[in-house]
This record gives sequence, C-alpha cells and structure tokens, in this order.
Amino acid sequence: MPYDDLRSFLDTLEKEGQLLRITDEVLPEPDIAAAANAAGRIGEGAPALWFDRVKGFTDARIAMNVHGSWRNHALALGLPKETSPREQVEEFARRWDAFPVAPERRAEAPWLENTLTGDDVDLFRVLPLFRLNDGDGGFYLDKAAVVSRDPADPDHFGKQNLGTYRLEVIGRDRLALQPVPVHDIAQHLRTAEENGEDLPVAITLGNDPVVPIVAGMPLRYDQSEYEMAGALRGAPMPIATAPHTGLDVPWGAEVVIEGVVESRKRQIEGPFGEFTGHYSGGRRMPVIRIERISYRTDPVFESLYLGMPWTECDYLVGPNTSVPLLKQLRAEFPEVRAVNAMYTHGLLVIISTAKRYGGFAKAVGMRAMTTPHGLGYVSQVILVDEDVDPFDLPQVMWAQSAKVNPREDVVVIPNLSVVELAPASQPAGVTSKMIIDATTPVGPDVRGNFGTPVKDLPETAEWAAKLRTLLAGR
Amino acid sequence: MSVPHTPDCPRCAGDAVTTVTTSPVPGVWEVLQCPRCLYMWRTTEPERRTSRAAYPALFRLTEEDIASASEVPAVPPLRTR
Repeated sequence: MPYDDLRSFLDTLEKEGQLLRITDEVLPEPDIAAAANAAGRIGEGAPALWFDRVKGFTDARIAMNVHGSWRNHALALGLPKETSPREQVEEFARRWDAFPVAPERRAEAPWLENTLTGDDVDLFRVLPLFRLNDGDGGFYLDKAAVVSRDPADPDHFGKQNLGTYRLEVIGRDRLALQPVPVHDIAQHLRTAEENGEDLPVAITLGNDPVVPIVAGMPLRYDQSEYEMAGALRGAPMPIATAPHTGLDVPWGAEVVIEGVVESRKRQIEGPFGEFTGHYSGGRRMPVIRIERISYRTDPVFESLYLGMPWTECDYLVGPNTSVPLLKQLRAEFPEVRAVNAMYTHGLLVIISTAKRYGGFAKAVGMRAMTTPHGLGYVSQVILVDEDVDPFDLPQVMWAQSAKVNPREDVVVIPNLSVVELAPASQPAGVTSKMIIDATTPVGPDVRGNFGTPVKDLPETAEWAAKLRTLLAGR
Repeated sequence: MSVPHTPDCPRCAGDAVTTVTTSPVPGVWEVLQCPRCLYMWRTTEPERRTSRAAYPALFRLTEEDIASASEVPAVPPLRTR
C-alpha cells in the first residue's frame, strides 16, 4: 500500500521501530544537525529522528533521516525492512519496467488549509529553519522537490520537471537556487532568461517517501518524475494543481511554496556542505521571489543532513543512481548481474558481470563511463565476477586483491568529463577515469594462475534466507 | 532595518547587520543577516558561527570575493525577436 503523504509514512516508521522521538529540549543549532549526522555513525538500521521541543520555537515539528538507513529506504518502497540493498535495487529495477504510470489528479489537497500571500509571506512563520554545517552560508531547504515547466513547451507533461536542488533561505520571502547546468531546471531557466521572463516554480516540502527518490533520479529530460513515482509506488501518484502557478505538485505535501525565479538576476550563494563531502559555493546564483505559501495545519518540516558520507543523502541517491546504470548496461550487455553506484552519486561504480570472452569486462566498464549519467560521474569502475556481490564490499576487496594484476587490469583514460563538483577534477569538470578489472580472465585472455575456484555451496543461498528469517523472528 | 548594537558580520565583517526574525518564544534568539554577503545566523549558535573573532578563516569572505564570484549558471544572451 503506497503512502500518499509523509505523515502516514512516519506512522509506519514508528510502528516498525524506525522512528525515534527526541523528547529532551534541543537547540536548533547545533543539536538537530549533529543528531542527524550521528544517525549515520551508529551503524546499520538507523531510525528517522523526530524533534518537537526546540528551544525558542512554540510548535516546531522536524523530521530528519527519514530515508537514512536501508531499513527506512526499504519501508519507503513498501518492502520488508530486512530487504538487502541488492534486493532493493533489483526490485526498484523491476518496478521501473511499469513506467510510465499516469498520475491521479485529486482535489482538496491538505496544504490548502492555510495560505500566506503578499506581505504576509514569511518562511520563518511556517518552517522551523536551522543550519546544518559550520561553513554553510545560511539555512537551507535541501529535501524539497522543485517543480517547473519548459517555457518553450509548457503543455508537455513529461518536460515538467520535479527535482531536488539546494535552496538557501536569503530572506523571509527569498531563496537562492542552485541549478547546475546539467539539471533539467537549468534548461527551463535558460529558455526563460533568453526571453527575459521570470520562471514560475513550486517548491514542495514534506512529501510522500517516493517523491524524494524520484526527484533525485537521473531521468531523461522528457520523462515525468510523477509517472516514475507511479511505477515505483505500484499505483498512480496523487497530484494537485498549485493555485498560484498552475504547476502540478504532490497532493500530499506538507508545504507548497510558489513564486518565480527572477529573470537574469544572480546573488551570492553558499557555501553549502555537499554530497561530495566538501563545501561548494561562494558563487552568484539565481534568486526565487516567493509569492504564496500554502501549508497543512501543524506542518512537519522535513530536512536531511549531508556531509562526509555516509549520510541520509547517500541512502536516498544510492539505489536511484544504481538502477538507471543497471538498466542501460543490461540493455546492451545482458551478462551484467548487478550495479552498485552508491558512492558519491556514482563517481565510483562496482559492476558484477559474466564474461562473454577475454577483455569483455573492460568493455562493460568503458560503456558505464559513456552512459548519460556516466558522462558526468563514473570516474572509477571496479568490475567483479558474476558470483561476487558488488554490494558486499569485503567480497569486492577480496576480488580486487586476488584477481587484479595491476599492469594489465588497471586502465587510466585521461581528460574525460565529470561534474564540476567532483573535488578531484582538474580543472573542475575534467578528470582522468580508471577501470579496475577484478574479474577472472577468460579465454583467449589466459593470464594468471587461478586454478579451480572454491564456490559457495549450492545450499548456501537457501540457508542465508533461513538465517535471516530466524533472526528477524526473534 | 538596522539594529543598534548588533555585531559585525562574522563572515565578511560587514557592519550593517539586520534582524530577519525573532524567536516565537520571546527573547530566546534572533536570526541576523549581513546584507552584503547574505550570511544568516541565529544568535544562539556556537561562537564559531556567530563571532567574527571565532569565525574560521577558511569560511571568511571579503568584498573582493563577493564581487569576483562567478555566475552559475551564466546569464544567457537575450534572444532577439
């Protein structure tokens, strides 16, 4: 049964023991960010965190780390919380095949209950804002889904975009927006600015748990995130019409902020501690003027901590980065068994593949670099045999230590493209890329002394499932 | 509005700091902002974020940094109709 809003998902997390209420009074800073940071440092199965006693606020309700463990990510997809990362990625890929699933338009969205317009627009009246990292330039909305349309083709539903972009609060009714040039909203903004026009946007906060997953997914420009959400939910995504801009927004949002990106204007933004584990900022970025805020009574403010991995951000973008690569690689190379692209949005990728013939695995690695996502990421690929689980890092390290003969199996290609945020790129946006072939050579590649490998016993998979069930039932 | 006796901006030392909002529970904290570098902070944050003296050199900005900051994305040429 899919979730139509954040609140119903938080109820499930609580019932499953995956939501922790912090009952002591906390300081807005540094406590909330430090607690969410710590959730990524206490091992597997971290819960979502709930704060409602925040010093100086009278009615704050803050949810952090909602997607911040494999258990929570599984529950967001309606899977049992014990589902392994590899199984979650496989199920995600299976559901993808149902794309597109048309959304369902609903009336009477709960966020129509309260409205601020004109001089009353004030983010601080609705949201208990707080800072995440020491060097951040201000308070950020970092888990919002931003909706915009292509000004050159405004009626094309698929070109309407729903994406997560960092938003810095720079005033009661103003936000700075970071549209990286490769992002869909940057295309919308470019067209609007070429015409000298403002770009209408709707920013939705506190969404059902599938929205942040699709909003951070590298889909094609004309593919609708709402239609992908329907595929992942296994049911149409409920949407509603935003009253001020007419944009299509999630029906179940806690808060809907409407306004425009002001044409041809830039202001100083950041820095902000990013998913790369490094700050970026000190650049001049577009500015949003807020004209209307709609919100549910007693809104829940959802945010996520990000910084040095692993944090909630890594759980959120790990599977949704792995799946497109898996689908694209398998379309040409059915030998590909699994793809783990969970490290820094796929800057490093581990691929498990069978070999058609000698040299095949390296070809798979090169293809990963030339997929649409690979052009901006995938600067390191580790290839492992079909019986190595790329999500099991000790097994990957075994493969690399036992199978790699560096002179032949490590290939470095200079001067390829990568996102400018990649900290090691030099100059920003250009990097060398590396393939590490940790597969067992097959003919006519006859290198090494591999002899007969010891395989897992045929009954082991069955026993692993049995042990998991027994442990879960204790 | 400029508030009397507010501190200089911890980040760029700008002296025209304004009050953006105050705590719903009166008197607990204020949110301040520097109109020059747009740095925003709450008065109850740790000193490393609120005091010019304790603010890390790594994160400081100068007027020149702000003036020379690059545009992302660059403003495109206007389309001639």
